[in-house]
Amino acid sequence: MRAVGSSIPRVDAVDKVTGLAPYPGDIDLPGQAWMKIVFAGVPHARITRLDVSRAQAAPGVIAVFTAADVPVNEYGLIMPDQPVLCGPGSTPQAQIVRWEGDHVALVVAETQAQAEAAAKLVAMEYEELPVVTDPFQALEPDAPLLHPEEFPFPYGQRDRRSNLLLAYRLRRGDVEAAFAQADVIVEAEYRTQAAEHAYLQPEAGLAYVREDGRIEVIVAGQWMHEDRAQIAHALGLPEEQIVVRYPAIGGAFGGREDMSVQIVLALAAWKTGRPVKTVWSREESIIGHHKRHPFVIKAKWGATREGKIVAAQMDVTSDAGAYAYTSTKVLGNATLMCLGPYEIPNVHVDARTVYTNNCPSGAFRGFGAPQGHFAAEGQVNKLAAALGMDPVEIRRRNALREGSILATGSVVPAGCTALDVLEEAARRAAESPPEPPVTLRTSLDASRRRVAQGRGLALSFKNVGFSLGFPEHCHAWVEIHGEAEMERAVVGCVGADVGQGAHTVFAQFAADALGLPVEKVELRVEDTDVTGSSGSSSASRMTFMAGNAILGAAQRALQAWEDEERPARAEFVFHPRPTTPYDPQTGASDPNITYGYCAQVADVEVDLETGHVLVKRLISVNDVGKAVNPQQVEGQIEGAVAQSVGWTLLENFVQENGRAVTQRLSTYLIPGVADVVEEIVPVILELPDPQGPLGARGMAEMPFIPTAPAIAAALHDAIGVWFDELPITPERVWQALRERQP
Amino acid sequence: MSSKVMVSTHLNGQEVTFLCEPRQTLLEVLREELGLTGSKEGCGNGNCGACNVLLDGVLVNSCLVLAVETDGRTVTTIEGLTPPDRLLPLQQKFLEHAALQCGVCTPGFIVSAQALLEQNPQPTEGEVRRWLAGNLCRCTGYDKIVRAVLDTAQSLAGDPAQDSAKEVGR
Repeated sequence: MRAVGSSIPRVDAVDKVTGLAPYPGDIDLPGQAWMKIVFAGVPHARITRLDVSRAQAAPGVIAVFTAADVPVNEYGLIMPDQPVLCGPGSTPQAQIVRWEGDHVALVVAETQAQAEAAAKLVAMEYEELPVVTDPFQALEPDAPLLHPEEFPFPYGQRDRRSNLLLAYRLRRGDVEAAFAQADVIVEAEYRTQAAEHAYLQPEAGLAYVREDGRIEVIVAGQWMHEDRAQIAHALGLPEEQIVVRYPAIGGAFGGREDMSVQIVLALAAWKTGRPVKTVWSREESIIGHHKRHPFVIKAKWGATREGKIVAAQMDVTSDAGAYAYTSTKVLGNATLMCLGPYEIPNVHVDARTVYTNNCPSGAFRGFGAPQGHFAAEGQVNKLAAALGMDPVEIRRRNALREGSILATGSVVPAGCTALDVLEEAARRAAESPPEPPVTLRTSLDASRRRVAQGRGLALSFKNVGFSLGFPEHCHAWVEIHGEAEMERAVVGCVGADVGQGAHTVFAQFAADALGLPVEKVELRVEDTDVTGSSGSSSASRMTFMAGNAILGAAQRALQAWEDEERPARAEFVFHPRPTTPYDPQTGASDPNITYGYCAQVADVEVDLETGHVLVKRLISVNDVGKAVNPQQVEGQIEGAVAQSVGWTLLENFVQENGRAVTQRLSTYLIPGVADVVEEIVPVILELPDPQGPLGARGMAEMPFIPTAPAIAAALHDAIGVWFDELPITPERVWQALRERQP
Repeated sequence: MSSKVMVSTHLNGQEVTFLCEPRQTLLEVLREELGLTGSKEGCGNGNCGACNVLLDGVLVNSCLVLAVETDGRTVTTIEGLTPPDRLLPLQQKFLEHAALQCGVCTPGFIVSAQALLEQNPQPTEGEVRRWLAGNLCRCTGYDKIVRAVLDTAQSLAGDPAQDSAKEVGR
């Protein structure tokens, strides 16, 4: 049997089921010290004085570091707009706290308890500054300014007198003329909330100075070469001076794409010469890392009587929070994805992302596509309802297909399978009509319960790989050992296995290409010294990018093997076809390498007395091109759907005046095993992507995307109410049921 | 800093004596003093179950138990549950069913499910779901975990010689 396409167990499964797999917090080094990071605790202030003398004098304290100790006191994945440490002693902009999770001091002590005790003795004197937490208020001329300072901005000129971080626009055709011709127009405003990744492993790490004089940082991230670059920048050291190592990673979902403990650990180890460890509590994790962007999307769409969508006008605003993180990239995706996977001849999108004093927003599974599709699919479902048309039929008449032109003016990449996933979802749904209600778990008295049932459908697309002109690439090498016969192979590729199973997939691709059993493939995946950048485990890119890189390297290594080299070794850097950035005026571009497609059908049951929503069944049809490991692909679908049902019905990261309210897993609720979905039906289609390795396309974000609009449509089917704001909590449903009654 | 207390515990089949501060949780002592890092701190306040262990055979969140409370009692962690030279049938089923992704919640799920199978060797799906309601997983969507537990129960019923449930709290 070929290795690709086989559901072999994960390469790390034995270590994980026995508890032996080492995560960053599980690793100790002799002589290590502990670090406690002091958070600002205020959302907007100018620090006038930071008194660390009492902390320095506390028992066991080795050192306390402040802004003055950071060689280059700035960082950021896209632009360096964030101080490593806030406070006096470095740049004027570093004196300003813009978010309660800003770091102000690092206390390094002999024990964790000593570091924590001393951290409480750091005294911060500050002038409070006015706080702005609403992106629309932040755009007002008199709003408090978050970033009047100058920093390298990669999108041309930035207006430093505004909190506008970036705006995009798409223009195609003439929407006004098209609305005038439309038989039906629907308008709505969609709102989505901030959401927390809640990976089970809070941030942790360990840094030390190696015998060769380089700083090694052991941490859980998503892209080790990017971590290395940001650490080196802030420490004012060449990148070669830094080694980043990833042990087991306890989930990421985008939440480890930006720096948390990386830079400060390296700084503390470098300055003290000691191994330095830090482990965040759950509360520190929730306060201290970014969230999914809240969006407000105002939508106006028109269609003909025949169900042809003729115009879409969208006004999109996202709350970037206090620092840029990946907000500009998320905005880039949302600008296109808010139109859904449809060919619409007349389009007018204005999209913007805005600084506020909220927790920074950033990457989270789907990267702007879930929010965009919540609006787009809501609009399509409303048009279908207004026209009295089947939701499948209206999508048939408008969905992207081979040769379709996107709103950016470019042709959708070959291998467009929006219609295929749609038809399969429709077929599966027809085969399994909703079951009659049996019991509802929330009801105290089953005989008296009143429920309504409904079914809803949504369709989605999502880019694979980084977008809009990013120079995408992925390094890998393959080494074949043996004499007359191939005995084993070694694969070097440092894509992060954040839990999604990337390393297993690497081994499967190599084994498949070389004709070796998977057990004969050894992986070198551990640190930045192994190979060049393999890029980020995000944007559903790792299978696609690393698969192509490993296949390329394997092919060259096989040639070397034929040429009698022993061991036969070859490197390969995969470069996918280039993309281009949006034109600032029209949005014209070739935005993405390729896409993955997903359609879902949700069956819900609503308790008419409590407003409780139960998702009875969710059919998720995903075209993955080629399922490298079908069982792991199913796991991605099931996990994505569970997360998305949480986002749709349950989860809400609440902030009040720039302070996190839901700081624990007891107040920030994520789905448990008894919650929310009774049955997830993962359906895998394998329609090859012409650019994919053996046809594979990225898939791990895609099944997150249509869930919310499918559930919203099912709720409309059940009780006749459109829910345009997430999360759709029992309170909101109950309120809507009350308002519905005459 | 408070003075330390001497605690003697029957831990994973061995008598273990350690010094701890009265404020220290069992989880902290397991991880930081005894080097048993299979139990994970996912929340530190009993919401996630990643630190679950057995205390006198009863399932507990080790982050909610003070280490001094374990004096004279029996503690079994994921390390103690795992046989030295093989996997438990339950662990094998987790592996076969791909019932894990990032793996941080996995030891807690194994400990919890093993405790269930000891009490109730043939649980229904509803019983499995209710029992595991104290364990959070952010990766899998839970379905494969539930299947792994049910399949373990089924295979043990078919092969009583392999009954591993007796190993719990041994």
